[in-house]
Amino acid sequence: MKSDRYDAIVVGAGPAGSTAALVLAQNNISVLLIERGAEPGSKNMFGGSIYRQPVAKIIPAFWKEAPLERTIVSDELWLMDKNSAVKVGFTGLDFNQEPYNKFSVIRSNFDYWLAQKAVKAGAKLITSTLVTDLVYEKTGLLTEKVDGVKLDNGEIIYGDVVLLAEGANAPLTEKAGLRGKIESSDLFLYVKEEVALPAEVIESRFQLSENEGSNIGMIGYPTAGVSGRGGIWTNKESLSIILGGYLNQINNKGLSPYQLLSNFKAHPLVNRLIAGAETTAYKAHIIPKGGYTNLPQFYDDGVLVAGDAATLVSGRRGLDLAMLSGLYAAETIAQAQAAQDFTSKLLQNYEKKLKNSFFIKDIKNQKGKNQYYKKHPDGDFLISKATNKAAYQFFTVGLEEKKAKFKKIKSNFLNIESDQKLLSDLYSGLKHWRFF
Amino acid sequence: MRNFNKEQSSPLDYVDIKVDDESHISIKKKEVCLEKCENKPCTYYCPTRVFSWQGKQNEIRVDYQRCIECLACPYGCPYENIAWEYPHGGYGVIYQRS
Repeated sequence: MKSDRYDAIVVGAGPAGSTAALVLAQNNISVLLIERGAEPGSKNMFGGSIYRQPVAKIIPAFWKEAPLERTIVSDELWLMDKNSAVKVGFTGLDFNQEPYNKFSVIRSNFDYWLAQKAVKAGAKLITSTLVTDLVYEKTGLLTEKVDGVKLDNGEIIYGDVVLLAEGANAPLTEKAGLRGKIESSDLFLYVKEEVALPAEVIESRFQLSENEGSNIGMIGYPTAGVSGRGGIWTNKESLSIILGGYLNQINNKGLSPYQLLSNFKAHPLVNRLIAGAETTAYKAHIIPKGGYTNLPQFYDDGVLVAGDAATLVSGRRGLDLAMLSGLYAAETIAQAQAAQDFTSKLLQNYEKKLKNSFFIKDIKNQKGKNQYYKKHPDGDFLISKATNKAAYQFFTVGLEEKKAKFKKIKSNFLNIESDQKLLSDLYSGLKHWRFF
Repeated sequence: MRNFNKEQSSPLDYVDIKVDDESHISIKKKEVCLEKCENKPCTYYCPTRVFSWQGKQNEIRVDYQRCIECLACPYGCPYENIAWEYPHGGYGVIYQRS
């Protein structure tokens, strides 16, 4: 085989691309993995945590070798107002035993590790290299297939199949006609700070033992009326403080994400968790939340799309879905290599695998959810405000008859939210949190 | 450089960027910002304030050196008036390993 031709070329060494490269290399398929960053992971950020079950499907017992921060044992949701919070949550210490449930990670570490894993399996990785175009080969009078990529230094590299795992902004996927235009109402914009604290301080503030971690998601006050969320994730010796919401709503309300994050950090209940911590990193990224109707065409002759480029995001899940889509893409490419058929007729197996997956079903089931928050961006905000007000009244020890007290709570609640709106906000809110 | 809030802190103090020689961001048509765009949302939704309104020149200034490639700008501009391309390979933001 000529050195400038590979069985498969993968664009983007994120979770989708590196997973695909790893699985392809394990199947003795020659694969080139191309990353535009100085290192895999140097452009990538998320909340966040990774989930054991889907990742272990690809790398069994990965927790023994991957750069993980903490084992998450506790999940909380805070409905916040200006100086109060109604908290719901669960702490399960069984989650701190094998086989675990999820882990906090920092992407610049995790993505680097995953890409190196692919390299060790035999994939070739080139970094600091941008793919600027797809290269096509004529296969008939009117037909053509993708047959390689053009790099920013002008070089052309050929491959039987190209997997596009280029991330949320997907210029090659769009150019190939596989993905339509994404609206700002289908995008979340997240900003994040990592702040350093000694492990013991984190453990005492979040009531954790060594290696245990906690996630707190927060809605209402932090996003100032934008449908979105704030959150604190515990890492080994740092906290990730995130804040994000629908981009079009941030625009319409005239908000600055960094200022929102600063205000969030100053909230008295957040501030006491992060007091004394020094900021070590600031990161930001969009997440495609387009849902089922915006899913792209996943394949064409000689080309597949995976991960964020394929808008495979469901609620707070994205990284694991990216990895699973990378796995399915690699399996399909292996089939294509075995059959020496790289047309869409065979590559459509990838779409079949995706459509049978739990996550496409989830994305389908969430149809309409985004619509509600487009129409009522204030849903989370009003629910948080009303429940906090009610909780203040409920917990205030007074001198009145119980019946009168509850009557007052109810009428106050309805002052903030009308009967009907309250019900639909509550219903949508619960549906929304279910995917948290 | 302009500051973000009262405390005069800038998030860019915590970001490593290998700055490219040429800009990867540009405004497609200056007239659109001047004549059509009332609120100039790019000047606030960008998490690192790449965009600022220059009253004297009557145009949006683009400090591409501040960009951390979050990708909000091309999608957030209500007039689709921001052209954004990836910086050259190896350039731009570098989130460090720890």
